[in-house]
Amino acid sequence: MSETDHEISRRELIVSSAFVPLAALTASAQNAETALTPAQIKTLAAFVERLIPGDELGPSAAEAGAHVYIDRALAGPNAGEKQAFVEGLASLDAFAKSSQDAAFADLPPEKRDALIAAMERGTAAGFTNAPQFFSRLRRLTLEGMFGDPYYGGNRNFAGWDLIRYPGPRLAVSADEQRMDKLPAPNRRSAYGPQYGR
Amino acid sequence: MAVNLKPVDVAVVGLGAAGGVVVLPLARAGLKIAAIEAGGWLDPHKDFHADEIFNNVRMQVTSVPKTKREVPTFRTRADEPARRAASGRTMMNAIGGTSTHYDANSWRFAPWDFQIRTATTRRYGAGALPNGSTVEDWPLTYEELEPFYDTVEYEIGVSGKAGNLAGKIDPRGNTFEGPRRREYPMPPLRDTPFTELMASAARKLNWNGHRSPAAINSQPYRGRPECAYHGYCDTGGCHLGAKNSTAVTTIPQAVKTKNLAIFDHAQVTRILSDAGGRVTGVQYVRGGMEYFQPARVVILASYTYENTRLLLLSKSKAYPKGLANNHGQVGRHYIAHWDGRDISALFPFDLNIWYGALAQGVVVNNWADDNFDHSGLGFIGGASMTVNHELHPIAASAMPLFNRAPSWGSQWKKFVNQNAGRTVGVYAQCTSLPYENTYLDLDTEVKDPLGDPVCRITSGPKENEPRARAYVAAKAEEWLRAAGAIEIMNQPLAREGPNQSWHAIGGTRMGDNPEANVVDKWGFSHEAPNLGVLGGSVMGSHGARNPTLTIQALAWRAADHLVRNWKAIAV
Repeated sequence: MSETDHEISRRELIVSSAFVPLAALTASAQNAETALTPAQIKTLAAFVERLIPGDELGPSAAEAGAHVYIDRALAGPNAGEKQAFVEGLASLDAFAKSSQDAAFADLPPEKRDALIAAMERGTAAGFTNAPQFFSRLRRLTLEGMFGDPYYGGNRNFAGWDLIRYPGPRLAVSADEQRMDKLPAPNRRSAYGPQYGR
Repeated sequence: MAVNLKPVDVAVVGLGAAGGVVVLPLARAGLKIAAIEAGGWLDPHKDFHADEIFNNVRMQVTSVPKTKREVPTFRTRADEPARRAASGRTMMNAIGGTSTHYDANSWRFAPWDFQIRTATTRRYGAGALPNGSTVEDWPLTYEELEPFYDTVEYEIGVSGKAGNLAGKIDPRGNTFEGPRRREYPMPPLRDTPFTELMASAARKLNWNGHRSPAAINSQPYRGRPECAYHGYCDTGGCHLGAKNSTAVTTIPQAVKTKNLAIFDHAQVTRILSDAGGRVTGVQYVRGGMEYFQPARVVILASYTYENTRLLLLSKSKAYPKGLANNHGQVGRHYIAHWDGRDISALFPFDLNIWYGALAQGVVVNNWADDNFDHSGLGFIGGASMTVNHELHPIAASAMPLFNRAPSWGSQWKKFVNQNAGRTVGVYAQCTSLPYENTYLDLDTEVKDPLGDPVCRITSGPKENEPRARAYVAAKAEEWLRAAGAIEIMNQPLAREGPNQSWHAIGGTRMGDNPEANVVDKWGFSHEAPNLGVLGGSVMGSHGARNPTLTIQALAWRAADHLVRNWKAIAV
């Protein structure tokens, strides 16, 4: 490089972090590891169960495994937010104890609903960032409820049935794009029939 | 020390939407090319899935390591500390680059886009140009670019319907487009009852509603199959090769000439130059080793942020402020496109837009460009409006509530059960101009793992774009109501506009005047004669449409110029 004239000196290269193969990232999607303790999972399940409750329109988010999706996500691709998430769950429980004198998961549905409503409105006394944590929990619950069952949620296609999404198909005909008649739900994961049952 | 490689005629940095196009005409002309790409080949079976979590939530096709390590920082004023910009589908490292996962909407810009300053001054007077804008006419006209639009449309394959066939207007296409020499190589993607609903609502208003032009096969094309309309096109790759990314079109053809060598998973760190100011080649890192690839011509074709960053990092005696930056123009005239799907509607019936592609849409251009009289409106330009297929279930469940339901619980369940498949958003893309207060430079704090600073975005408030957008939002509402919508929700952007963008342009603007532009009308540096720059970074204003086809037409034209003037440029 004697013909070139530039300012760069030889630099230390961080070899190990230079290239993470894509396969390593995709593998993390399917890991079934857990990030939360059984007690934290119980609190989370008690929350998602009220966010999307079981009723005549179908199973709750807890029955559909939305909390399983969230736990696995926190063990893998969402590991970066795990600490904030765990702190949020602890704040939720502290709020339940200070206002209702019981752990969140031990409260009856109506009392849990009242606490969730206070979180959403920002009126949960002593619970800082409650609206932000509510909004993050809601978003993750939607991902678990309505994402592919491959990731642990949307069990039995409860989420897709609820919003009448007919399911992933690799090829879609003109008839299946009609407005007067939706295609029949195929109740199938994009990764094969072994998921979602 | 870096390993010195055998010299080539042309080193191309980045093998994406632009670099993936430029290599074909160069290779056909017999030039020996080394293309250096930070990503690798993607495998349709392993990397592309009908899965919203994979594509859209985790962005696993696009969120590749180099991109994640180089997320630009953002601030609204020079005296404010910069923070990390929202991550998004911006840069992409892969053979095919962003053309792997884009929506494939393949538009020509309007003739007006090339001459905004002259046309505005002529019709409304010089006072109509927005305060603080650095907009210039492009150094070429629509007519000069037309042959290259045509070439690229046929080489990669674009489906659509002409609205102006050599001056003959056809309302089935975009009646506002510039004249084209021939029809699109393929008809538009499949019509559906939804596209017909929206096109007929536009007709009721006496507007021209036409189908989107798409680099997606509506019928088999050059050995590749037609679209299967599966509904996971956006931010994902095509499992069939029916989306015409450069990875399945121009790059494989260039490889066949045996004139193109691809170095994948290789990150370019510097472009080197000699004391005379000519570039000599590129330095890159691959597998932890540093290499130097000498070349007679270097073509920089990475994403907008990386084009600016690499030039600013490549300092030398001839270029103490960064390569091709002796006039201080690198990073100036940056534009994040004012686009967004922020006007949503609720219909009293199922739309069934779950499947298909984002490019399977209907577009209204009546309120874009200078297609209407702006006298007294207080802004220039406007927006195209698109509604389209491809709705994913998580996105549908997160739909606006239109004040009709709480955000959780049994009442919410009832609401989404009925309405998740009855909502659609209008995607509005605004004419977006360059301003003094909006530019790119290097961050003073945040560095990538190699120790190089990341790009820093400074983006101040604007008046023109928010006004244009508010005006068009009212038109979008009219259109949706004419189609039968019963509720509308409008969430406008902040006055600073978007910061990081997947339609990011400028930073190495193209223009005749070297005092105000980095590259000339062909895409070659005003200062380093054997350095070409491709991509959105050369564009001086953003039209009201997706930029990729214009980027690709400019790339083909730059190659054409280089081949015709090889001896003068390569010396």
